[in-house]
This record gives sequence, C-alpha cells and structure tokens, in this order.
Amino acid sequence: MMRKNITPYLFLAIPFLMYCIWVIFPILQTFIVSFTKWDGMTQMKFIGIENFKRLINDKYFGLSLVNNIKWMIGFVILSIPLGLFFAILMDQKFAGHKIYKSLVYLPMALSFVVIGQIWSWILEPTGGIVNAFLNFIGLGNLAKPWLSDPKIVTYSLIAAALWRQIPYAMVLFLAGLKNVSSELVEAAVVDGANAFQRFFYVILPALKPAMVIAITVNIIDSLRAFDIVFVMTRGGPYYSSSVMANYMYVQAFHNYRMGYGASVAVVQFLITFSFILLYLINVLKKEER
Amino acid sequence: MRKTFIFLLLTLLALFIFAKEKIVINSYMSDPAPRKAFAELVKIFQEKYPEYEVTVNTFAHEDFKTLLRTWLAAPKGTADVVTWFAGERMRYFAEMKLITPVEEVFKESSWENYFPASFKSTCSYNDRIYFIPQSWYWWGVYYRKSVFEKYGIKEPKTWDEFLKVCETLKANGISPIAIGSKFPWTAAGWFDILNLRINGLDYHIDLTAGKIPYNDSKLLKVFEYWKQLVDNGYLLPNHTSYEWQEGATFLFRGQAGMYYMGQFIKDVAPEEVKNDLDFFRFPIIDPSVPLYEETPIDGFMIPANAPNRKGAIEFLKFIASKEAQEKFARDLGRLAANIEVAPPDEHAKKGLDMILASAGVSQFYDRDTNPEMAEIGMNALIEFLQNPGKINSILDNLEMERKRIYGIK
Repeated sequence: MMRKNITPYLFLAIPFLMYCIWVIFPILQTFIVSFTKWDGMTQMKFIGIENFKRLINDKYFGLSLVNNIKWMIGFVILSIPLGLFFAILMDQKFAGHKIYKSLVYLPMALSFVVIGQIWSWILEPTGGIVNAFLNFIGLGNLAKPWLSDPKIVTYSLIAAALWRQIPYAMVLFLAGLKNVSSELVEAAVVDGANAFQRFFYVILPALKPAMVIAITVNIIDSLRAFDIVFVMTRGGPYYSSSVMANYMYVQAFHNYRMGYGASVAVVQFLITFSFILLYLINVLKKEER
Repeated sequence: MRKTFIFLLLTLLALFIFAKEKIVINSYMSDPAPRKAFAELVKIFQEKYPEYEVTVNTFAHEDFKTLLRTWLAAPKGTADVVTWFAGERMRYFAEMKLITPVEEVFKESSWENYFPASFKSTCSYNDRIYFIPQSWYWWGVYYRKSVFEKYGIKEPKTWDEFLKVCETLKANGISPIAIGSKFPWTAAGWFDILNLRINGLDYHIDLTAGKIPYNDSKLLKVFEYWKQLVDNGYLLPNHTSYEWQEGATFLFRGQAGMYYMGQFIKDVAPEEVKNDLDFFRFPIIDPSVPLYEETPIDGFMIPANAPNRKGAIEFLKFIASKEAQEKFARDLGRLAANIEVAPPDEHAKKGLDMILASAGVSQFYDRDTNPEMAEIGMNALIEFLQNPGKINSILDNLEMERKRIYGIK
C-alpha cells in the first residue's frame, strides 16, 4: 500500500526539483534583489523598500503600468469576441474551411520577434503598406506615424500582438466548441430557436470553461507583453510605449539597476499572480464538484 | 586491438602538438562593411600566427551594449577580447576591475611609439592603460554634393547660413535634416555639438561628468537653437520610427539634405552614392567659442575573466601594429589610431585636417556620461524633439535624476 503511494511522488520529484531550481528559486532571488541597490557586478547593498517607494513616484513606471492595462483591455475586449467569432465561423463545414482556418491560424506559428519585425514594416510611415494603402485610396490624411506618435504607438503595438492573440483565442474556442453537444443544438433547432437564440442560450453557456481559460490566458499574456515592444519600439519614443517587462529590462540591463529592475519585476509578478490565483481557485472549485 | 591503441595514442599526440590555442573575440561590428574588414584582419592575423585559432562572435550594436556586462561579470569568462569605446564607458568597467590593463602590448616599446599622446588619458584609468584604440573618426554634417550643386547651395559656415540652406532645401521639397532616432544616440550627437558650439568644451565635459545641473540656464540656450530646427519643420518627419541607417537612406536617395553623423555613415552608403557624399564642419553659432568637435575612439579591451590572456595580448599587439591599423583604416576610410598610418584617402584627410584645426575634442555624450544618466538623458532629448514646448519640465526631471545618480542632496 505504502509502495503504491510513493511511486507518483518519485516521478514528480525530478520535475519538482527542476521547477524549484529554475522557477521558484529565481523568484525568491528576485524578491531579495528588489530590496537592494545592485549594479549586477559589485556588492549588493540592502536598502529596504526604497526601490518600491521610488517606483510610486516614477512617472515612466506609471506610464508602463497604464500601458499594460491598455494591453489587457485590448486583449480582452478584442481578442475574445473576435476569437470566438472566428471559431464559430471556422466550425462550420463550408468549402475550403480548412484553408481559411490555416490562414487565420498562421500567425500562431510565428514567434513574436518575427511578428514584430513584419509589423514594423507594415506600419513603417513612408513605405509601409498601411500608409501606402491609405494614400492609394485617397485617405492620405489618415496616414500616421504609427510607431513614433506617442499617442498611438501603444495601440499600434497591441494591434500587432492581436494578430497572434486572436487565433490563439480561436484555437481555445474551437476546442471548446468540440465539447458542445450537437444533440443539444439540434434539440434547440427542433424547439424552434433561431441562430441568435441558439448561440446565446445553448452554445455560449457550454463555452463557459473555454471562456474562463481564454480570458485568463489573455490577461496573463497582456501582462507579460515584452517581445513585440522590444522588437518594434524598445519602449520608445521616450518610454511612451513601454510596458512593465520592458521597463524592467531597461532598468536592469541598460541602466545597470538590478535592484530597481527587480522591484518592477516583483510588482509585475504580484499583479500577474493574483490573476493566476483567481484562475486556479476557479479550476479547483470545479474539480471539487 | 593493440594497433588501434597505438593509432589512438598517436592521434592524441598529434592533436596535442598541433592543437591551436583559441582566441575568442566578441565584436559589435555588425554593419556589413566593418564586419568584412574585421574578418579580413582576423584572417591576416591567423596567417601570421597559425598557432592561434580565432573565433569572432558578432552581435548587433545595441544588443552588444547590454550583453557586454553579463560577459564581464560572469564568473567564468568566454571572450578574450571585446570591442568597446574609449572614455567613461571603458573606465566604468576598469573601476570595477572587470577589465585588465594591457601594457604588455607595449613591452619593448611605449604607448607613444604607437599612438598619439593625447589619446592616452582617454584609454587609461588610474594611470594604467586598459584600452587599445583601433580607429577613430570625426562627426560632420554629411550631404550629397550633387544635391547641393543642383540647388546652388554652398557649405554653410554660420548658423544663419545653415538655416538658409535648410530653407532652400525645404522649399524644394527636400527634408533639410535627416535623423533616425529609434535609438536615441543620434539625437545625442546633435546635443553635443550644439552644446560645444554654444557653451564650449569645458562646460560640456563638466556637464557629462555630472557636475552641472541640467536645468542650468546656459544649457537652456542649446535647446533654444535646436528648437528653431524643430519648429521650422527641418527635421525628417517621423524620425523616431527609424534606426540611424534607415534615416541615412533618405539622404542617399536625395529625399533629405543633410545628416549630422559620424564618418561611419559611409559604411552603409551604396557604392554609387559613396563618392557623392561629402561633409562640412558643423556651423559656428557663437564666434567667441573656439571650435570643438566630436571624435569617438573605438578599440578593444581584455576582460578580467578572459580564458586566454596570452593570446589576447598577442592579438592586441597585432591590432596596434601599423599593418593592421592601416588595413582597417583603408577599408573603411576611418582614421587609424596608429601615428604611422597616414589618412587613407582624401575624405579622411579632410576629416583629420578639420580635427587638427580644432581647439579640442570630446568623445560622445554616452561615452562621456555615466551609463544610466546617458540612457535617461538621451531619452529626454527625444522627448524634447517631440515636445519642444515642454523643455523646462524635461530638464527639471533630468536634474532630479542627476541628483539621484550622482548622490547629490
């Protein structure tokens, strides 16, 4: 009996150990570093909560936080409905639906670095396809410096990120749709429900688990946004498109302020972790049932 | 069995005898022209010293700047030689003992036999030499001769003439001033030269050393002049979208008129434009201020954790030699640091003459300034270019940062 219980733990021990070394330990280390002044090379100096006090008054950190919130809102209100829309569309068996599915899915296969580079070209102010197209159809006055106007640069970056995020949500919903029992939908048809009613009263409630996952994943992804920003603007011009992860990178690796960078990471971790916690509680509750 | 054993033993012996010592060089020379020139240089070294096997790892310029520190700070080093900049940026590492003195290069001779005495302090920290210069260059206002000819423009000597040139170019549908400021150092070039022309070298050196408040009224004057260019729309539109090379293509295509840039702009110029490119000295603003220029020095240093220090010294000896310096300078049209090497072409001679005729030189804003201050300062310059009206609050903010960074109460 004892033997039987110990086997799974033995199997888990190795991954758990690896997890400790590469995930738990660095997290704890970051917490410690966040209370110090350290350039990454010389002696660490413990300075208490000085870094966090400074964060509160740091307008560029504030800007990064606000930008992260913009990312979050953008991801949730755009990638969820559009992902769902595409999922429902692609779930229909129309001619060539596989080709369309692949096309929508394609950006998922690309890394964020590649996507960032592609969108840098698309949004390039003089030769980029967006401005060229606007000029071509006579809407030249709508052409903008998408990546250098501090007022719109963050939205341009979010648009680029959504190109990959929407198909991601679509995949999650497509998987969810497989779980919607077709009998239920057929029963609704027999009962005379129109497409609208079928969607809102039958399909959508059945998609709730997928919805929870999609929203949580999108929120977490929006909080850890980094690659696109790094490739397309490096947070510029003058921090206007900076996000927390990017600001942390600049502080820690550019300005040689490991301690301050770590404190940014800690704040980002706490915010992200609270969403993960919410999600975990949700999942655990379901498992109990 | 025995045969195999003997064979193995012999092979091992052979490997041991002919084993090459490895030298690893991490380089930021990522633009095609310098990259090629450096690769050829390494090849010559290998032919001369077949006992060494040299590996060159090339990194994009901006990435190199952040990566270097992680290599230097690692407990176990991987690179024996790294490219870097003379001045504050080198001293920063020397102070932390992450790089080592390189006087062994001059064992049987002295610094003065190789390099100008005036370079020595820039390459030293606490009276010890840590840096072997390879080449240096000047900054100037680059333009296309054919474009200036077409509109009957002469090289401007004063600020007013310069503004007139801008106006002429603009009236002809050409962006007067090219700049690509996605990475903000290009703006720092402008800041430096304006400050040098308006407030002079001593003031500029004190400022970059953190001794002068950023909200000093004399500094405000720099931005008043700069603002004239912004307000008149003389700068390339959307310049924060472009890297410096992309900004340069506007000049090469004749869509922009002038580019205040280092000589290395020629590295990225297409063949057919190269000979059409010329430069003039940045115009005089205040005739009572002597002429100062920017002349950054590039070169090499040895990390304290270099696995093969002997090989590194050997390589730097080669780099310091007339042969190597001449080759690199000739390939890229730069000025060699070695005193025996003459300017490689007419263009370089013109640059050298300009520098010889000036009263003093500075390195560059981010080479003379503490790295953190430089990052914040350069971003502030971009903020100014986009919001010239906010200059007072931008400078106040910089002053706050200066106090924090230099520990001033």
